[in-house]
Amino acid sequence: MMPGLDSPKEARRKQRVRVVVVIGACAATASAAVDGSRFNASWYWMPWVLGLTAIVVFTGVAMAISGDLPRGRGRGSGSLRASGRDDDGPVAVATYRWRMLVMVSRMMPGAAGRRWLAEAESLLSEIAAARRGAAIRSYLLSAPRLVLMMWAQEVLRRARPGPRRPG
Amino acid sequence: MQALLRDPTKEMYGLELSDETGLQPGTAYPILLRLEHEGWVTSRWEDVDPRAEKRPARRYYRLTAGGAIQASAALAGARRPKGAALRSLAGRGGVA
Repeated sequence: MMPGLDSPKEARRKQRVRVVVVIGACAATASAAVDGSRFNASWYWMPWVLGLTAIVVFTGVAMAISGDLPRGRGRGSGSLRASGRDDDGPVAVATYRWRMLVMVSRMMPGAAGRRWLAEAESLLSEIAAARRGAAIRSYLLSAPRLVLMMWAQEVLRRARPGPRRPG
Repeated sequence: MQALLRDPTKEMYGLELSDETGLQPGTAYPILLRLEHEGWVTSRWEDVDPRAEKRPARRYYRLTAGGAIQASAALAGARRPKGAALRSLAGRGGVA
Protein backbone atom coordinates (compact mmCIF):
# COMPACT_ATOMS: atom_id res chain seq x y z
CA MET A 1 0.00 0.00 0.00
CA MET A 2 1.39 3.36 -0.91
CA PRO A 3 1.92 5.62 2.05
CA GLY A 4 -0.65 8.38 2.28
CA LEU A 5 -1.35 8.29 -1.43
CA ASP A 6 -4.84 6.87 -1.61
CA SER A 7 -6.01 10.02 -3.31
CA PRO A 8 -9.43 9.81 -4.91
CA LYS A 9 -9.40 10.00 -8.69
CA GLU A 10 -12.20 12.45 -8.43
CA ALA A 11 -10.03 15.08 -6.75
CA ARG A 12 -7.42 14.77 -9.47
CA ARG A 13 -10.03 14.99 -12.19
CA LYS A 14 -11.53 18.09 -10.59
CA GLN A 15 -8.14 19.76 -10.47
CA ARG A 16 -7.57 19.04 -14.15
CA VAL A 17 -10.99 20.49 -14.93
CA ARG A 18 -10.10 23.61 -12.90
CA VAL A 19 -6.86 24.07 -14.86
CA VAL A 20 -8.68 23.69 -18.17
CA VAL A 21 -11.38 26.14 -17.05
CA VAL A 22 -8.78 28.74 -16.00
CA ILE A 23 -6.88 28.43 -19.27
CA GLY A 24 -10.13 28.56 -21.23
CA ALA A 25 -11.35 31.58 -19.30
CA CYS A 26 -8.07 33.41 -19.89
CA ALA A 27 -8.16 32.62 -23.59
CA ALA A 28 -11.84 33.63 -23.89
CA THR A 29 -11.28 36.91 -22.01
CA ALA A 30 -8.28 37.83 -24.10
CA SER A 31 -10.10 36.84 -27.27
CA ALA A 32 -13.16 38.92 -26.32
CA ALA A 33 -10.97 41.93 -25.52
CA VAL A 34 -9.32 41.69 -28.90
CA ASP A 35 -12.64 41.21 -30.71
CA GLY A 36 -14.09 44.28 -29.01
CA SER A 37 -11.23 46.46 -30.10
CA ARG A 38 -10.78 48.10 -33.49
CA PHE A 39 -8.32 45.33 -34.35
CA ASN A 40 -10.90 42.83 -35.40
CA ALA A 41 -8.68 40.82 -37.67
CA SER A 42 -9.53 37.47 -35.96
CA TRP A 43 -6.74 34.98 -36.66
CA TYR A 44 -4.10 37.65 -36.93
CA TRP A 45 -4.40 38.14 -33.17
CA MET A 46 -4.41 34.48 -32.26
CA PRO A 47 -0.65 34.34 -31.48
CA TRP A 48 -1.14 37.27 -29.09
CA VAL A 49 -4.10 35.57 -27.41
CA LEU A 50 -2.16 32.34 -27.03
CA GLY A 51 0.92 34.23 -25.87
CA LEU A 52 -1.05 36.13 -23.23
CA THR A 53 -2.62 32.89 -22.03
CA ALA A 54 0.79 31.27 -21.83
CA ILE A 55 2.11 34.19 -19.76
CA VAL A 56 -0.85 33.97 -17.36
CA VAL A 57 -0.39 30.22 -16.94
CA PHE A 58 3.39 30.53 -16.59
CA THR A 59 3.01 33.23 -13.94
CA GLY A 60 0.49 31.09 -12.06
CA VAL A 61 2.79 28.07 -12.13
CA ALA A 62 5.78 30.17 -11.06
CA MET A 63 3.76 31.61 -8.17
CA ALA A 64 2.65 28.14 -7.17
CA ILE A 65 6.28 26.94 -7.16
CA SER A 66 7.46 29.89 -5.09
CA GLY A 67 4.54 29.41 -2.73
CA ASP A 68 3.03 32.85 -3.36
CA LEU A 69 -0.41 31.43 -4.05
CA PRO A 70 -2.68 31.32 -1.02
CA ARG A 71 -2.93 27.90 0.59
CA GLY A 72 -5.92 25.92 -0.59
CA ARG A 73 -5.52 27.21 -4.10
CA GLY A 74 -3.17 26.23 -6.89
CA ARG A 75 -0.57 23.63 -5.99
CA GLY A 76 -1.80 22.82 -2.53
CA SER A 77 -5.34 21.91 -3.45
CA GLY A 78 -4.68 18.82 -5.52
CA SER A 79 -5.28 15.16 -4.92
CA LEU A 80 -2.16 14.66 -2.86
CA ARG A 81 -3.30 17.29 -0.41
CA ALA A 82 -6.80 15.91 -0.46
CA SER A 83 -5.42 12.53 0.51
CA GLY A 84 -4.04 13.94 3.72
CA ARG A 85 -0.43 14.27 2.58
CA ASP A 86 1.38 17.13 4.23
CA ASP A 87 2.14 19.87 1.72
CA ASP A 88 5.70 20.16 2.87
CA GLY A 89 6.62 16.54 2.18
CA PRO A 90 9.44 14.83 4.06
CA VAL A 91 10.59 16.96 7.00
CA ALA A 92 14.18 17.10 5.81
CA VAL A 93 13.40 18.26 2.26
CA ALA A 94 13.19 21.99 1.57
CA THR A 95 9.58 22.97 0.94
CA TYR A 96 10.18 24.60 -2.43
CA ARG A 97 12.08 21.56 -3.67
CA TRP A 98 9.32 19.27 -2.48
CA ARG A 99 6.80 21.43 -4.27
CA MET A 100 8.78 21.16 -7.48
CA LEU A 101 8.75 17.38 -7.17
CA VAL A 102 4.98 17.45 -6.61
CA MET A 103 4.49 19.65 -9.67
CA VAL A 104 6.61 17.33 -11.79
CA SER A 105 4.66 14.31 -10.53
CA ARG A 106 1.46 15.93 -11.74
CA MET A 107 2.82 16.07 -15.26
CA MET A 108 2.99 12.27 -15.21
CA PRO A 109 0.04 9.92 -15.71
CA GLY A 110 -1.95 9.64 -12.45
CA ALA A 111 -0.83 6.40 -10.83
CA ALA A 112 2.69 6.56 -12.24
CA GLY A 113 3.15 10.12 -10.94
CA ARG A 114 1.91 9.18 -7.48
CA ARG A 115 4.23 6.19 -7.37
CA TRP A 116 7.24 8.28 -8.52
CA LEU A 117 6.54 10.86 -5.84
CA ALA A 118 6.03 8.24 -3.13
CA GLU A 119 9.31 6.55 -4.05
CA ALA A 120 11.10 9.90 -4.06
CA GLU A 121 9.62 10.71 -0.66
CA SER A 122 10.64 7.32 0.73
CA LEU A 123 14.18 7.64 -0.55
CA LEU A 124 14.68 11.28 0.42
CA SER A 125 13.55 10.61 3.96
CA GLU A 126 16.26 7.96 4.37
CA ILE A 127 19.17 9.33 2.36
CA ALA A 128 22.07 11.09 4.11
CA ALA A 129 21.60 14.85 4.35
CA ALA A 130 24.79 15.50 2.37
CA ARG A 131 23.45 13.52 -0.59
CA ARG A 132 19.89 14.79 -0.49
CA GLY A 133 20.40 17.84 -2.70
CA ALA A 134 22.09 15.81 -5.44
CA ALA A 135 19.35 13.18 -5.22
CA ILE A 136 16.60 15.79 -5.68
CA ARG A 137 18.49 17.32 -8.62
CA SER A 138 18.79 13.89 -10.21
CA TYR A 139 15.04 13.36 -9.83
CA LEU A 140 14.30 16.72 -11.44
CA LEU A 141 16.86 16.28 -14.23
CA SER A 142 15.55 12.86 -15.20
CA ALA A 143 11.93 14.02 -15.01
CA PRO A 144 11.39 15.31 -18.58
CA ARG A 145 12.54 12.02 -20.12
CA LEU A 146 10.58 10.09 -17.54
CA VAL A 147 7.40 12.07 -18.22
CA LEU A 148 7.65 11.27 -21.93
CA MET A 149 8.42 7.62 -21.21
CA MET A 150 5.52 7.27 -18.80
CA TRP A 151 3.04 8.88 -21.15
CA ALA A 152 4.25 6.68 -24.00
CA GLN A 153 3.74 3.61 -21.80
CA GLU A 154 0.35 4.89 -20.70
CA VAL A 155 -0.80 5.44 -24.27
CA LEU A 156 0.39 1.97 -25.28
CA ARG A 157 -1.26 0.43 -22.23
CA ARG A 158 -4.57 2.08 -23.04
CA ALA A 159 -4.34 1.17 -26.70
CA ARG A 160 -3.58 -2.48 -25.92
CA PRO A 161 -6.65 -4.70 -25.75
CA GLY A 162 -7.19 -7.07 -22.86
CA PRO A 163 -6.93 -6.69 -19.10
CA ARG A 164 -5.06 -3.62 -17.86
CA ARG A 165 -1.99 -3.89 -15.70
CA PRO A 166 -2.10 -1.96 -12.45
CA GLY A 167 0.00 1.22 -12.53
CA MET B 1 21.58 -5.07 -13.02
CA GLN B 2 24.67 -6.67 -11.51
CA ALA B 3 23.52 -5.50 -8.10
CA LEU B 4 20.24 -7.36 -8.52
CA LEU B 5 21.94 -10.36 -10.10
CA ARG B 6 24.29 -10.84 -7.17
CA ASP B 7 21.41 -12.49 -5.34
CA PRO B 8 18.36 -12.70 -7.62
CA THR B 9 16.12 -13.81 -4.76
CA LYS B 10 16.97 -10.77 -2.63
CA GLU B 11 14.73 -7.73 -2.72
CA MET B 12 16.41 -4.33 -2.82
CA TYR B 13 14.92 -0.89 -2.34
CA GLY B 14 15.78 2.33 -4.14
CA LEU B 15 18.41 3.70 -1.80
CA GLU B 16 20.11 0.32 -1.49
CA LEU B 17 20.27 -0.01 -5.29
CA SER B 18 21.52 3.54 -5.62
CA ASP B 19 24.33 2.82 -3.15
CA GLU B 20 25.21 -0.47 -4.86
CA THR B 21 25.31 0.95 -8.37
CA GLY B 22 26.71 4.38 -7.59
CA LEU B 23 23.88 5.90 -9.63
CA GLN B 24 21.82 8.82 -8.41
CA PRO B 25 18.28 7.74 -7.44
CA GLY B 26 16.76 9.88 -10.18
CA THR B 27 18.94 8.10 -12.72
CA ALA B 28 18.25 4.62 -11.40
CA TYR B 29 14.47 5.05 -11.28
CA PRO B 30 13.83 5.23 -15.08
CA ILE B 31 16.07 2.18 -15.56
CA LEU B 32 14.14 0.19 -12.97
CA LEU B 33 10.86 1.34 -14.46
CA ARG B 34 11.91 0.19 -17.91
CA LEU B 35 13.13 -3.16 -16.58
CA GLU B 36 9.83 -3.60 -14.77
CA HIS B 37 7.92 -2.71 -17.92
CA GLU B 38 9.91 -5.35 -19.82
CA GLY B 39 9.10 -7.90 -17.12
CA TRP B 40 12.69 -8.37 -15.96
CA VAL B 41 12.02 -6.90 -12.55
CA THR B 42 9.07 -6.97 -10.21
CA SER B 43 8.39 -4.55 -7.39
CA ARG B 44 6.13 -4.15 -4.38
CA TRP B 45 5.50 -1.68 -1.59
CA GLU B 46 6.84 -2.65 1.80
CA ASP B 47 4.04 -3.66 4.12
CA VAL B 48 4.76 -1.52 7.16
CA ASP B 49 3.02 1.12 9.19
CA PRO B 50 4.86 4.37 8.36
CA ARG B 51 3.88 5.86 11.74
CA ALA B 52 5.32 2.95 13.67
CA GLU B 53 8.48 2.84 11.55
CA LYS B 54 8.75 6.65 11.48
CA ARG B 55 9.57 6.53 7.78
CA PRO B 56 7.58 6.03 4.56
CA ALA B 57 7.26 2.53 3.13
CA ARG B 58 9.97 1.42 0.73
CA ARG B 59 9.48 0.08 -2.76
CA TYR B 60 11.30 -3.23 -3.10
CA TYR B 61 12.62 -4.55 -6.43
CA ARG B 62 13.54 -8.11 -7.33
CA LEU B 63 14.56 -9.84 -10.55
CA THR B 64 11.97 -12.19 -11.99
CA ALA B 65 13.03 -15.72 -12.99
CA GLY B 66 12.97 -14.78 -16.66
CA GLY B 67 14.61 -11.45 -15.92
CA ALA B 68 17.54 -13.12 -14.15
CA ILE B 69 18.22 -15.34 -17.18
CA GLN B 70 17.88 -12.47 -19.62
CA ALA B 71 19.98 -10.16 -17.48
CA SER B 72 22.78 -12.72 -17.25
CA ALA B 73 22.70 -13.18 -21.01
CA ALA B 74 22.62 -9.44 -21.62
CA LEU B 75 25.57 -8.82 -19.33
CA ALA B 76 27.55 -11.64 -20.92
CA GLY B 77 26.71 -10.23 -24.35
CA ALA B 78 27.80 -6.76 -23.30
CA ARG B 79 31.20 -8.10 -22.23
CA ARG B 80 31.75 -10.29 -25.31
CA PRO B 81 32.18 -7.67 -28.06
CA LYS B 82 34.97 -5.96 -26.15
CA GLY B 83 36.89 -9.23 -25.77
CA ALA B 84 36.26 -10.17 -29.39
CA ALA B 85 37.42 -6.78 -30.59
CA LEU B 86 40.62 -7.01 -28.54
CA ARG B 87 41.33 -10.48 -29.89
CA SER B 88 40.73 -9.25 -33.43
CA LEU B 89 43.10 -6.33 -32.91
CA ALA B 90 45.69 -8.63 -31.37
CA GLY B 91 45.40 -10.93 -34.41
CA ARG B 92 46.15 -8.00 -36.68
CA GLY B 93 49.05 -6.90 -34.55
CA GLY B 94 47.15 -3.86 -33.24
CA VAL B 95 47.57 -4.87 -29.64
CA ALA B 96 50.66 -6.50 -28.25
